[in-house]
Amino acid sequence: MRTFIHDQKVSAGMEAASMAPAISRSGFRCLVGIFCLGLTLFSGCGKLDFTPREEFSRLEPYAQNYVSTVLKEYYGTPTEMVVWDRLPVKKHLSTGKVTEATDHQVVLELSEPHQEITSGTELLWTSGPLKNQGSSWIRNWDEKTHTATLVTALKDPPEAGTTVVVGPGQVLVRGRHLYAVHCQHCHGVSGDGNGPTAEYLNPLPRDYRKGVFKFTLTQAQERASREDLARTVEEGIPGTYMPSFKLLTPDESESIIEYVLWLSMRGETEYQLVRFLSDDYSKESVAERVKDGLEKKKAGETDYETYASIREDFVTAVNDPEDMQSELDSMIELMVSRWTSSQTPEARLAPQENRVAYDARSIAHGRELYLSKDLNCVACHGDAGYGDGPQTYSITKDLETGKENVEPGLYDAWGHPIQPRNLHTGIYRGGRRPIDLYSRVHAGIKGTPMPAFGAKLKDQDIWDIVNFIYSVPFQTEQAGSGMQKAEDPASAEKEVAIK
Amino acid sequence: MKWFWCVFFAFWPLVAVVLCAIAPSMGWWLPGPAASPLGHRIDDLFYMILVITTITFVGTQVGLAYVLFTGARRTDPDVQEKTWFSHGSHELEVIWSTVPALVLLFIALYQLNVWAEYRVKDAFPKKDMESVLARLHQKRTARDSIALAEVTARQFEWRIRYPGFDAEGNLLPLQEDPQPTDLYAVNDLHLPANAPVMINLKTQDVQHSFFLPDLRVKQDAVPGLVIPVWFEAEHIRSYPLLCAELCGWGHYKMKARFVAESDAGFLNYLRNLHSQQNYDGVQQKADDGDE
Amino acid sequence: MSSIAITHDAGAQSHQPAEDGIDRLALLKQVYKFSTDHKVIGIQFLLFNLVMLMVGGALALGVRWQLAFPWEQVPIFGHLVAKNISMGGQISPEFYTMLFTMHASVMIWLVIIPVLAGAFGNFLIPLMIGADDMAFPLLNALSFWLMLPTAFFFAMALGLGGELSGVRGGMDGGSAQGWTSYPVLSALKQASPGSEAGQFWWLMAVNCVGVSSMMGSVNYMTTIINMRAPGMTLFRMPLTIWSMFITAILQAFALPVLTATGFMLMMDNTLGTCFFVPSGLVVNNAEPTLGGGQSLLWQHLFWFYSHPAVYIMVLPAMGMVSDMLSCTCRRPIFGYKPMVYSLAAIAGLGFIVWGHHMFISGMNPALGMTFMVSTIMIALPSAVKVFNWIGTIWGGRPEFNCVFLNCVAFVSMFIVGGLSGIFMAAVPVDIYIHDTYFIVAHFHYVLFGATLFCVFGGIHFWFPKMFGRLMNETWGKIHFFLTFIGFNGTFFPMHLLGIAGMPRRYADPYLHPYLEHLLPLNQFMTICAIIMGFAQFILIGNFLWSCLYGKIAGRNPWRANGLEWSAPSPPGHGNFDIPPIVYRGPYEYSDPDHDSDFWPQWEPPVVRPKKPEPPADQ
Repeated sequence: MRTFIHDQKVSAGMEAASMAPAISRSGFRCLVGIFCLGLTLFSGCGKLDFTPREEFSRLEPYAQNYVSTVLKEYYGTPTEMVVWDRLPVKKHLSTGKVTEATDHQVVLELSEPHQEITSGTELLWTSGPLKNQGSSWIRNWDEKTHTATLVTALKDPPEAGTTVVVGPGQVLVRGRHLYAVHCQHCHGVSGDGNGPTAEYLNPLPRDYRKGVFKFTLTQAQERASREDLARTVEEGIPGTYMPSFKLLTPDESESIIEYVLWLSMRGETEYQLVRFLSDDYSKESVAERVKDGLEKKKAGETDYETYASIREDFVTAVNDPEDMQSELDSMIELMVSRWTSSQTPEARLAPQENRVAYDARSIAHGRELYLSKDLNCVACHGDAGYGDGPQTYSITKDLETGKENVEPGLYDAWGHPIQPRNLHTGIYRGGRRPIDLYSRVHAGIKGTPMPAFGAKLKDQDIWDIVNFIYSVPFQTEQAGSGMQKAEDPASAEKEVAIK
Repeated sequence: MKWFWCVFFAFWPLVAVVLCAIAPSMGWWLPGPAASPLGHRIDDLFYMILVITTITFVGTQVGLAYVLFTGARRTDPDVQEKTWFSHGSHELEVIWSTVPALVLLFIALYQLNVWAEYRVKDAFPKKDMESVLARLHQKRTARDSIALAEVTARQFEWRIRYPGFDAEGNLLPLQEDPQPTDLYAVNDLHLPANAPVMINLKTQDVQHSFFLPDLRVKQDAVPGLVIPVWFEAEHIRSYPLLCAELCGWGHYKMKARFVAESDAGFLNYLRNLHSQQNYDGVQQKADDGDE
Repeated sequence: MSSIAITHDAGAQSHQPAEDGIDRLALLKQVYKFSTDHKVIGIQFLLFNLVMLMVGGALALGVRWQLAFPWEQVPIFGHLVAKNISMGGQISPEFYTMLFTMHASVMIWLVIIPVLAGAFGNFLIPLMIGADDMAFPLLNALSFWLMLPTAFFFAMALGLGGELSGVRGGMDGGSAQGWTSYPVLSALKQASPGSEAGQFWWLMAVNCVGVSSMMGSVNYMTTIINMRAPGMTLFRMPLTIWSMFITAILQAFALPVLTATGFMLMMDNTLGTCFFVPSGLVVNNAEPTLGGGQSLLWQHLFWFYSHPAVYIMVLPAMGMVSDMLSCTCRRPIFGYKPMVYSLAAIAGLGFIVWGHHMFISGMNPALGMTFMVSTIMIALPSAVKVFNWIGTIWGGRPEFNCVFLNCVAFVSMFIVGGLSGIFMAAVPVDIYIHDTYFIVAHFHYVLFGATLFCVFGGIHFWFPKMFGRLMNETWGKIHFFLTFIGFNGTFFPMHLLGIAGMPRRYADPYLHPYLEHLLPLNQFMTICAIIMGFAQFILIGNFLWSCLYGKIAGRNPWRANGLEWSAPSPPGHGNFDIPPIVYRGPYEYSDPDHDSDFWPQWEPPVVRPKKPEPPADQ
């Protein structure tokens, strides 16, 4: 009896057997595909499903049930995804409307840009008499004239202005295929950063499920923009096992990013929902409440909670549109709005001043700022920039809860130990362009203890710090040299980087 | 039944030869003509050995089939022919020892100079490489490296370091250690075409191997060593670059490209890299730092 | 009249279990015991190797599956491996690297080397030279029983022990550095999942099997030199014995290098020494290595062993094939002494060609030139042998039975394998085909196409001696046919893949556009591989069934000349009921001066009256 307000749901089914992208279209492959299908049916279809969070298992079974049902309804499984129109991801290859039509050819006006449309793409009618009569399939697509030749002729050609969706859900389906080939074994089926390969990697792969991505060019309070993700996919993250996927086509890259965003939103939905329910309906808290209830009962009160009554409450809450459902609704709304606002130009960082010249004065000033008590960079990054500051061996506070961490050292938002960057390596994970370093200082690194200094520092100062950072790999270090005078790099004949 | 087996053993070498004959048209052959002069010589050598081995293959398989058929015939009940009681033939042994030995020695010695040119530093086409650098107006002395890029393989990508430009905009020589002016790229190597160019091949972690199939270039990247690799691309286009030494689970993923550019194209590319690498977010760029 | 009555009963009776009082399963019944009888040890090896053959084959099928249907769920087995279940049965990249590593390791160290030296060597050497057992029977037994810990270590290296054995991630953490185990990948724990505990177990296994082989080699050399029957001069030994002898010498000189190197790598891996690790490497964001070593050193040391190892894996087969061909064609071997010298030449040259595995490795290019010359020359003795085998069949009366078919397949496949080697020996061509499927095709042709077919033939040939019964001919031929077709279907196209530039050890070559079109060919190859793999069940079924129900065989069902055929089938303790004396070489078939078409080594010469001179006026 849910009364969520959502737009049309489009189910993107997939052939159960095959997950590999269709690379070669030989008839032989078709034969082999049947063979493979047979084998898979014989062995039992792969029951591929998203893995739930750890906290999920600590909920009461009926709460788990609820969470699973919600997720399945709005996100589906990897092989049968549900494409929920409410999510701000690109789902379809394109949408558009008919301009001309015959019974077997349709000319479309499409939203641009759109991904490549290939033969075999579905054409879903979303208005007019054809709306509920099943989709058509494109035999041939002419990109120049935007003409689709259909596999089966239509009885009545559609009128001009009929709206269509080309390749409904196909961007996500393509993304899923590509993700399964390229990303899944590290980032996991659910985007939890815990695929089979993950445990061997240092640092661990990104867990998308909080909606936090580290290397962005957006403001501190905003999320990552698509360009940030695209840049990560294209350039990789040097110094980690995230490789550069530069040689993907733009369509492929876009599909993967949309799918990653989709996974992130699914993960965040799960996270928020589980967190919300954990307060009252985790096994631990239910046990508490039942215990309290028993004590009240002993004390002779009539109004006490039992296991069954708590469960009753839960079922009522779930079915009440004003209660659980509106709660869920607002969670989704918040998530959607945060993602949407992060994609706008206003969310991006925009330095007002050009980077200052890379000279001795700037570097010296940068060093001064680095060593200043106000900014306290040395607390984490160390006096000499080796990433060995006092914070790395002190007890620090958890970023989310504010509680003290058990082991000394710094931790990221995912609960893993994290080291401050050693500035001497010359490896800049989020990119080595000035704007990248500017962003690290101005907006911090989301999900890590690196704070945002944008409020404290002027652009000029940030550029000085950036210049200092660039100079660190090239500076010689002598014991006891204290505040060494910075050399003007332009005057040096041959620089040698000391690692 | 024995005749079936005789035909069987005669048949499959035929299939093998036919398969190899149709292989090029099916695309199961070299990925196109070699795109470098050294590659052409390697292909020539390959074909020469192919001819010699095909002749040997056909000859021995025909010989085998012949002895099988005659042997089968000899076991027919109505045939009176006796088995040949011979422990061997000294003459034959000498013939079929010396002839193959000469052929093999020929193959061995014929190609020594191709190998030398490819790998022995003294045999590198140094003059041609230096003339390319001159065309690029590189500001260099005789002692500077003639390498135009340092390719560092790592798990699981190719990190490339180019020399940058000096204050006047001249191309600098590549130094052994990273310089503040250096330009960096990943998985995308650009070098001038139609000229021998050299890279310094390194690895940051385990062994990898720099493999350009179209140019027939392959060199292992060995930890602790810097290995100069030179090649000459004959066409201005993009060539696949991959890793050819097991380096871990991502060995297959090290997909990169080598783009052979014209001189102007190469300098342009470096200048592009330079401006992207110095992008401070204030200048309005149409494309956001992508290639 | 000879004192040994040779019965000509080549299995005329059928289904005659112990009615004649002979316990034909005497040897088989002892395989679970710690026996020091060389025949039992040989059969122990054989059974063990047949099981390991299936294990290695299963691993290979995993590799083939991934290449044919990349990233698709593996049927049946995909759901057995814990981590892969989370991905729906999809192979993960590190799992794939484990698959090809363990496939090669199991096949090389647990199948091919032991089946030749351990199974056939053990069983045949004393029998063929007329000894009653090996020189060191206890050492012999130890040599077999060391295979069990080896198998256990390899199982741990596969990741089967999981967390208990310290291997993180189960089979995903299995040893995965390739059977060549190059450092730095194998030396640094953080370099790959399999380089942690998986690598340790792998090294333990390799060292264990090395010790086992060394024990065997010492035994064989001593036995062959010291314990030959009277009259068995060196040049009256069958080629099988020559090949086993020369192989034993190879093992004795090469294995210590491998064992020492294996220990050095183990120390690098577990104790943090840096024999093979240069300084300053940062792998997986660990601390930079202290270094001082060179990774090329491993390659030199490893290949110094592993190149002779590949001859260890083929020389005994060459010897056995000579004997089997000679017998089935009823002809003397063509050029016995050249064959012996060729065996010796291959072995000797085999010690100076190891660098041909390293042409592209970055070693001094001048070394490349010297190795190229020696490598090309090693083709010569092999070519001489091939001509001699063809010469052996020439003019003969071949019996087209399983044994003969497998031997002809050996010759045919060896020709292919040998010729493809010439491409690689040419260094400039090797620049292109190194580490591509061309190499894979080459060694599978010589190891499977040659050696393994010889093993199949040898099983059929010496089965009657082991178990007193013949294996079923029809099923043997079916097995041969399917294996031959499947084998060639799988491995011949690999030459083409290599020429097309498809690198080895790639979990997904189709990521690279210039290789995408090779997918259908790979799928065809996988189907052939599956046929070939399942055909081996026919062999095993035939083997087991024939042990119990095969046609009874007498002492010499093949009418062969070797000394082993004078012993009972199966031979009892001490092998020969009458100690043999050798009067001639082993290849006197179809001698026109002799009544029958074979003249066994142990039959004393017949003194015949001279023919009367024809009258002077005729």
